Amino acid sequence: MDAITYFLSSWVSPELLALTALGTFLGMYVGAIPGLSVTMAVSILISFTFSWDVNNALCLMVGVYMGGVYGGSRTAILLNIPGAPSAIATALDGYPLAKKGLAGEAIGLSTVMSVIGGFIGIIVLAFAAPLVSEFALSFQPRDYMLIGILGIMLVGSLSGNNMSKGVLAGAFGVLIGTVGLDPLTAEERFTFGVVELWNGINPVAVMIGLFGLSEALSQLHHMDKTSVKQVINSVIPKLKDVRKHLPLSLQSSTMGVIVGALPGTGGDIAALMAYDHAKRITKNPTTPFGEGAKEGLVAPEAANNAAVGGAYIPMLTLGIPGDAVTAVFIGALFIHGLNPGPLLMVEKPDMFWFTVGNLTLANLCILIFGLTGIRLFAKIVECPKGILIPLIFLLSIVGAYAINNSITDVWWMLGFGVLGYFMKMYGYPVGPVILGVILSRLIDENWRRAILSEQESLGGLFSGILTSPLSLTLSAAIIFILWSNLPLKPKKLSWRIKPEI
Amino acid sequence: MKKHIIGVLTAITLSTSTVAADYPSKDIQGIIQWGAGGSTDTVMRSISPHAEKELGADIILTNKTGGVGAIAMKYVNGKKADGYTLLMGAENPQMYKVLGLSDIDYNDMIAINVLARGTPIFVARNDAPYNNMQEFLDYAKANPGEVKIGSTGKGGLTSIVMAMLESQVKDLKYTSIPYNGDGPALTALQGDAIDVMPAVLGATIEHVKAGRMKAIGLVDVEANKLLPGVAPITETLPNMESYLPWGPFFGVFVKKDTPKDAVEKLQNAFHKAAFNPDFISLMEKRGFTILNIAGEEAEYFLSGYRSTSSWLVHEAGFAKHSPADFNIPKP
Amino acid sequence: MSRVLLRHPGEALFSLAVLVGAAYLFWQAFHIADAGSLSSPASLPIAASTIMVISASIIVIKTLRMPLHPELRFSHHIFPPIIALVMALLLIFGLALEPVGFLLSAFCFLLLGFVFLYRGKMLWNIGLAITSLALVYLIFRLIFQVVLPEGIVPEREWLAQLAQWFETQE
Repeated sequence: MDAITYFLSSWVSPELLALTALGTFLGMYVGAIPGLSVTMAVSILISFTFSWDVNNALCLMVGVYMGGVYGGSRTAILLNIPGAPSAIATALDGYPLAKKGLAGEAIGLSTVMSVIGGFIGIIVLAFAAPLVSEFALSFQPRDYMLIGILGIMLVGSLSGNNMSKGVLAGAFGVLIGTVGLDPLTAEERFTFGVVELWNGINPVAVMIGLFGLSEALSQLHHMDKTSVKQVINSVIPKLKDVRKHLPLSLQSSTMGVIVGALPGTGGDIAALMAYDHAKRITKNPTTPFGEGAKEGLVAPEAANNAAVGGAYIPMLTLGIPGDAVTAVFIGALFIHGLNPGPLLMVEKPDMFWFTVGNLTLANLCILIFGLTGIRLFAKIVECPKGILIPLIFLLSIVGAYAINNSITDVWWMLGFGVLGYFMKMYGYPVGPVILGVILSRLIDENWRRAILSEQESLGGLFSGILTSPLSLTLSAAIIFILWSNLPLKPKKLSWRIKPEI
Repeated sequence: MKKHIIGVLTAITLSTSTVAADYPSKDIQGIIQWGAGGSTDTVMRSISPHAEKELGADIILTNKTGGVGAIAMKYVNGKKADGYTLLMGAENPQMYKVLGLSDIDYNDMIAINVLARGTPIFVARNDAPYNNMQEFLDYAKANPGEVKIGSTGKGGLTSIVMAMLESQVKDLKYTSIPYNGDGPALTALQGDAIDVMPAVLGATIEHVKAGRMKAIGLVDVEANKLLPGVAPITETLPNMESYLPWGPFFGVFVKKDTPKDAVEKLQNAFHKAAFNPDFISLMEKRGFTILNIAGEEAEYFLSGYRSTSSWLVHEAGFAKHSPADFNIPKP
Repeated sequence: MSRVLLRHPGEALFSLAVLVGAAYLFWQAFHIADAGSLSSPASLPIAASTIMVISASIIVIKTLRMPLHPELRFSHHIFPPIIALVMALLLIFGLALEPVGFLLSAFCFLLLGFVFLYRGKMLWNIGLAITSLALVYLIFRLIFQVVLPEGIVPEREWLAQLAQWFETQE
């Protein structure tokens, strides 16, 4: 009974309700603007809400978190600039939809799927949190390594018709991810003695360059063409459409919750894995993947929002952050005089149900804010290219600078933008590069921990994998995907830009 | 009204030459050495609002991570010495010289305030076959290489604590599993991926209280009131006393040659801020000992930390340079 | 459209450059400390760069076998002057960002961008540049407190003066 009271406490107080709504609204913009991360926004809010009551502060922050994860899809669909790494997979099919004049429909569908994913995450959090967090803790370094390898298999889906170029791009991404002081031993890798390289190359800078800047550069080829007229009559997706994609979104959400709950992985990896899953189980998509398949939009959007609930699971039950944002939340709770940790659930059960209720509320806000104002957003794509493209350049530069207040990131962004442009011109897929960057650390660190735990013995590692049901399941999944990818079927999809002749 | 417009206009024309006397006349930028959500971040974000009130100016906090904090340090020292850029960091820079990460450390800057110090503690997974330091050392000696100890890289807290331990106990053979931070390592400890971890008390306390891991030894000369049952390490290894008390710390610094007036205003503001009851209770709950020192006292503390840690690291064999090269005296 | 893939102008050179780059990274990977043990920081870089060298070699062979596209020209279809111009503008913007400051350099960049790409009336271009710059400044600097490079524009002093002015008005 108490649980319901706590659950509803942010719904019945007008003040808390308004703060949650405001947070969600702000979060959508934070998420949509590349370079502004939810982590950064929540950190700023800690100082801003310092003297507030803890519940008020939390409402605003929870809203920003929920809204931010959703907001990343906006710019991914409209401009091919994922607002955050968790929206990379959304851009793959969302942007082609916008190019076809279906931006409104794409945003509508992604909103509904995000909300469904968000609810699945919250339901699992509410009813299975202790169970899931123990499960998440049981992942050993070798299991994280296997998840990383499972993720890298996605190169197959992102490579289109040229596997060798995709593999090259993926391996390049993995190398980029290793640049800098090795996080485990502080040895320099590919730093060439430059201090600015110690921190490595920021994945967000690579992402903005490869996706946003390179796309804007290649758009310069078509300056004389008028912008695509957007059809906006079906903003709210048809029930038939939602029902058709419901099984996929539920599966993706489940992946999202688990990957989100693992302390070493987050929404970005969840979304990419869900995209791969969608591509594998959809036998005959109405539109090929990469050219605007709705399945390619549904899966990552459901997964990355489900990961929010997932990330809260270890945080609320054990005081272990599920991702970077929940780590900041832990700091916020400390500052407000609470003791986030395994005893929080016992000492302050109200905190748990309050957060669950507040997340639900924020999720509903997404539905409302997400489905209104779509017309206005879709208009952005109709804006004359001569205005839009310089603005994309400016946004990319400011966004890259904002990541770490550093000009170095701007140079990386520009460099990868130019590289991405030539890669596109010559038919090299850019998706695998960013995939490699994201997964590089996960594979690198956990491979080394796993082999160190076995005292450098490969045999020990294999016997460890063979005797653990979890590792065996993950290995089986890798072998299955490898096997199903092997017969290289010719695909229609082409990454090469067709120059006008 | 007219006066204000003139004021704005003169500001536009003269603004680059702000006089230090009216410090602070604009926002101050605080550069946090570590990422959002970490302990340094939490401590700095909880003291800054109190200091802002004393200063009458906003402190805009920015996280600038990387190179175990060396990038933030380089950034602050690349700015003008006008007191408008603060470095908010942890203990790491005191090891930069011997580890070859930078040729400056906190002794080459001005300490505004060294806020607090942490206490290291040894924790072990619950089903480990040892309950105190002596049992642990006996087990590790009897099973060479079998105990998996989490570490946070060369120069990190674990490496220095282990160097202290190895200086007292010969022939200790264990497997070191590296993690990037004590958070992930303590998570791994709860998943049985590692057996033992030396970490800062504040990061472990809630987990120990909840019975998710066990404390086997406090790296201090006396027991801590937050965990009264845990014996100090000096009971097992009395010679450890020469290094203790030792622990990671947090502090606020400005570039050398910052005008005296600005330094004094900052020192006063942070000194008062650190007396705020909210801040004190936050620090105590996390197991930190409040220092709140500046000036000579801070310099003495910083030098002491540097010489103990640098020589330990040098003797353990993973320093790039000898502390003697930088005239760092032996403790 | 024929199914035979044709080589675009510059593609052979690009694939060769990629191969050379991959080989260089491969060589560099062996210079990471402690290369050799399975758990060394060099193990993943060596593995990844080996894959790069192999796939880049395959691509070079495939590319050189393709016949050159008869109609495409590098300077027209792959790297037309407008793209070179925009890349040069971006480069100058990047160089000017810190010494000159964000506000001034971004304004010049936007204005030139609109002049070259939008080709509107000058007054329109200036108006557009100012409006969009104001919006970006509001969002990044004022709301999200990203301290953009100030350069020669003393904006923090202006902001302090403005704040003071507002305070005394109340």
